[in-house]
Amino acid sequence: MSTTNAPVAKREKGINWAQIRRRLIRDWQLYIFVLPALIYYIVFHYMPLYGIQIAFKDYKAVLGIQGSEWVGLKHFKEFFGSYLAWPLIKNTLLLNLYGLLWSFPIPVILALFLNRLGSAKFKKFTQTVIYIPHFVSTVVLAGMLYIFLDPTNGFINILISALGGTPQYFMAEPGWFRTVFIASAVWQSSGWGTIIYIAALTAVDQELYESAKIDGASILQQIFFIDLPTIVPMAMMMLILNSGSIMNGNMQKTLLLQTAGNKATSNTIGVYVYTMGLTNAQFSYTAAIGLFQNVISFIMVMTVNKITKEASSISMF
Amino acid sequence: MAKEKTSTHIKLTRSDRIFTVCNYFFWGIILLIVIYPLYLIVISSVSDPYAVLNGEVLLYPVDFSWIGYEKIMKYTTLWRSYGWAFVYTIGGTAIGIFFTMLLAYALSNRFIGKGLINFMIVFTMFFSGGLIPTFLVMRDLGLYNKPIIMVLMGAMSVWNTMIARTYISSNIPRELYEAASIDGSDHFRYFFRIVLPLSGTIIAVLSVYYAVAKWNDYFTALVYLRDNTYWPLQTVLRQILASLTVSAGDVAEMFADDYTDVAETLRVSNVVKYCAIIISTVPAVILYLFMQEYFVKGVMIGSVKG
Repeated sequence: MSTTNAPVAKREKGINWAQIRRRLIRDWQLYIFVLPALIYYIVFHYMPLYGIQIAFKDYKAVLGIQGSEWVGLKHFKEFFGSYLAWPLIKNTLLLNLYGLLWSFPIPVILALFLNRLGSAKFKKFTQTVIYIPHFVSTVVLAGMLYIFLDPTNGFINILISALGGTPQYFMAEPGWFRTVFIASAVWQSSGWGTIIYIAALTAVDQELYESAKIDGASILQQIFFIDLPTIVPMAMMMLILNSGSIMNGNMQKTLLLQTAGNKATSNTIGVYVYTMGLTNAQFSYTAAIGLFQNVISFIMVMTVNKITKEASSISMF
Repeated sequence: MAKEKTSTHIKLTRSDRIFTVCNYFFWGIILLIVIYPLYLIVISSVSDPYAVLNGEVLLYPVDFSWIGYEKIMKYTTLWRSYGWAFVYTIGGTAIGIFFTMLLAYALSNRFIGKGLINFMIVFTMFFSGGLIPTFLVMRDLGLYNKPIIMVLMGAMSVWNTMIARTYISSNIPRELYEAASIDGSDHFRYFFRIVLPLSGTIIAVLSVYYAVAKWNDYFTALVYLRDNTYWPLQTVLRQILASLTVSAGDVAEMFADDYTDVAETLRVSNVVKYCAIIISTVPAVILYLFMQEYFVKGVMIGSVKG
């Protein structure tokens, strides 16, 4: 996403082996610098990529990843043929799509209004406070939800009762799962999400505001015609980055918030892969599902990148 | 400077005044929404267990009591996991920073194969082996159920590498290296004598990012550590918080000395949950409050598109 300022290497016609050798010898220390990271990425990222082949095999521990027997698309057929496939895909898509619909625009709106807080002290205080939830762990967030949404003594239900409503079983009803998941994500991430937009807004030329004011533009008009266009490129970048999560999403949080009661909507592909794969040791079958998920995510990122590139010349690559 | 002064003195129009008032009101509500849940946890942790369970604690501590904290002091399982969390966090952060700085420094130079290395690393952001193949590979490598995996897993992040590289190439001038190499300095000496000492800011940024990620991770241990004596805080916390119960063994640990009755034990272990939230979140929040500037800087450096 960012490039070094180093000038592009001179392209030469034909391969100058002597020069290549000279440069390799000159730069040998740099290869030593790269080595630890290279080993790390090979072991923790590329070896697992190589391990994906078990999606097309019947993995047996004794035979190992390489030695297990090839079975082609058997596991994919099994998954898509099962009655579980569609609900899992639907749950994953809806959870992340609704999630994106809320968590993408809210930081933008918050940043636009935060930028307009006149008092520098109050602005600083507000920023300090709204970043805090970002540092609350997922486990603690889930714990807080269980506590606050408790049907008898959670403060949300106490509030509902006080207002004359009926207490809800938030954590045990499929109908509430997405709302709970997304609302808590908005609480946790929106404040932190404003940082990059605030940074972009500080770059606006003050004279632009001056001339807008002279022309009689109200604050709202300034926000709409100066501030918003300023942060659109950044917002597009965030959209591209987040589009990959449509099929992935926050699996770790889903796992924490899944209960026997809300499974109808909380059972997503990620959680299913975890439970079937690691609890029931269905390695090949779940590796196949995981691969399907990864491929879709990858296609999503590439597609959105291409669309935004065509539409607004904003892209990551 | 003068310009800013005049701008604040321009008389606000009626609609702008209404906007300003509404904006402050809006942020008042947002702050309330952000703070209240956290505040509620804090006041519940120091309230009487009976009042907490009855939902009486809403605005201020009721019948102030340290009982939750007294009990949690005896919760040895939790403290052991606390210790492990520190070990994993410090170890993982140290390795992460060192590897990241080495790589970022190399990538801020020109060398043959740089493009390939760059691509290899960025690619992992968009395509991964997935949970199951990763698990099987780690098991084959003999890392399953070994505490070392907690330090190594996720030791480096692509994002952090990119901000470190951006920082080095825009803050440490190339001329410095050329000058140093005339004096006979090579990359090794230059990196340790010049680059690292000049990279205080980015090292602080990396350390806070890596540390918070490690501290808050519950999932790696859940997948890779069968033996729960090695579990870090968050993984143990998950059992306490998400299952809504403190297990019988844990209860025995805390109430061994002064067991009264089942109902009281239940009420107190309920408050223990609030205390557990506090003691697990405080390190991360304190780190944030002290290093706030660096957290924000990291995002800023990352958002600079070169």
